[in-house]
Amino acid sequence: MAHIHLEDGALSPAWVLFWWAVAAAIIAFSLHTLKREPASVRRFTIGAMCAAVGIAAFMVTIPVFGGIHLNLTPLIGVLAGPAVGSLAVLVINLFSAAIGHGGWGVIGVNVVVNLVEVLIGYYAYRNLRTGLRAGRFTSGFSATVLALVVSAAIVVIIIAFAGVQDSHLDEEETAHNLVFIAAANIVMGIVEGFITAYIVVFIGRVKPELLEGVERIRKVLRTSEPSEAP
Amino acid sequence: MSGRTYTKHVPDLRVITHYAERGSSVVHRTNPWTKTFMLLLIVALVTVVTDLATLLALYAFTVTFYVAARLPVRLLIGWYTLPLVFVVTLAIMFVFTEPGDEIAGLDLGTTRIVVTDNGLILMLKLAMRGLAVVTFSLATFMTIRYKHIVYVAHRTMPASLATMFLLTYRFLYVTSDELTNVIDTIHSRNGGLVRGVTRQSRMYAGIFGHAFIHAFDRAERISKAMESRGFDGSFPVVERVPRPSAKGIAAILALLSILAIAVIDRYLGVGVVTI
Repeated sequence: MAHIHLEDGALSPAWVLFWWAVAAAIIAFSLHTLKREPASVRRFTIGAMCAAVGIAAFMVTIPVFGGIHLNLTPLIGVLAGPAVGSLAVLVINLFSAAIGHGGWGVIGVNVVVNLVEVLIGYYAYRNLRTGLRAGRFTSGFSATVLALVVSAAIVVIIIAFAGVQDSHLDEEETAHNLVFIAAANIVMGIVEGFITAYIVVFIGRVKPELLEGVERIRKVLRTSEPSEAP
Repeated sequence: MSGRTYTKHVPDLRVITHYAERGSSVVHRTNPWTKTFMLLLIVALVTVVTDLATLLALYAFTVTFYVAARLPVRLLIGWYTLPLVFVVTLAIMFVFTEPGDEIAGLDLGTTRIVVTDNGLILMLKLAMRGLAVVTFSLATFMTIRYKHIVYVAHRTMPASLATMFLLTYRFLYVTSDELTNVIDTIHSRNGGLVRGVTRQSRMYAGIFGHAFIHAFDRAERISKAMESRGFDGSFPVVERVPRPSAKGIAAILALLSILAIAVIDRYLGVGVVTI
């Protein structure tokens, strides 16, 4: 797996409710943002397609290091953007909970973790491509690895603060115990980084217009600046 | 239904849909609202209950529910792999570090690794919680028909989110078939012999890249077609799901009572649950 999903019962009821509230607020904001856009049906359809590919891709075992599964959430962020991407990860988590890949009660916390991947994937890729003018491979790899390393750290922080239910260990001891999770996530994150980078390069060659949304924003600003000047 | 599945440890949605549409057990005939509320209550119960015996009883109940739906137990055992991997990955270090009585130990020079009883119990509890919900969740989705899922989704989610959820549900079959076809084609041309992380990563990147490109093309086509036919953002509801029957309400109330007892036991410390 590129990231570990928590199962039901791992967090206490108070933390489950807290993370559901956080996720609900983010999703409400994304829905509000998308509804104001004129092409919302198209964007909801794209989000649904991204979620479908994310779930279908997860079902495929990649024969690397004995077999791994990828969710491709940073790539969904790059291709669909933060608003659509956040809804896509919610839908992915709903389907995942239905089939046992993460629990129903912890959808809130899992959505927040995946959302971090979407946001970092999108903004890191955009800044690398448009700000630093890095290549697609470098941008795709760096954005994905950064997103998955940060999300792995966030998983550790969330669990260390909340504590695993029925454990008597304090925050520091719990964090030490989760180093294994973080290390596994980072190794898988590097593999997913390579695959995402190759996918971005592939899409850039075959259908570059799919990347226009994330790659053109600053170009537009730059080209519009001189014309606005007297 | 497709005869293929990607892996034996990830539930195939086509298999799930097949059982949901074709099954005729007593669980299939149970009202979808009843099963949905029961699922939510099971999730709440595994979150609130901390007693191992109660968790074992809860797990036994979910397995009984699954068996009563005449669903394949052998598949369920294979599908337990990922939830158990998640639990073990989260809890493995706690087995050695959780304070408690030593069950087994190993001297490694100056260091001694010890397995404690509380550590093992912690992992067992997490496994019981996870498996109870997975079992009931699969049993629920393998016994509710698509048209009823549409109705339940529309009544429980914001309209645009429900639309996206249901579009994903529909697209999933096309997308997954497409991915399987490409993988089968590559394997039939000796693609399975490709070795090395870089080469395999490139090969699968091409497969997923194709899937995303096709997905975006399809999304454009479908959204234009839907809009040209007057799609207003909400799926048509073919069949309404009636309210739960008296027996269904009794089952929900029974679980709700157990949840109330568990909450009182946990937060007021009355000691009601003494299994």
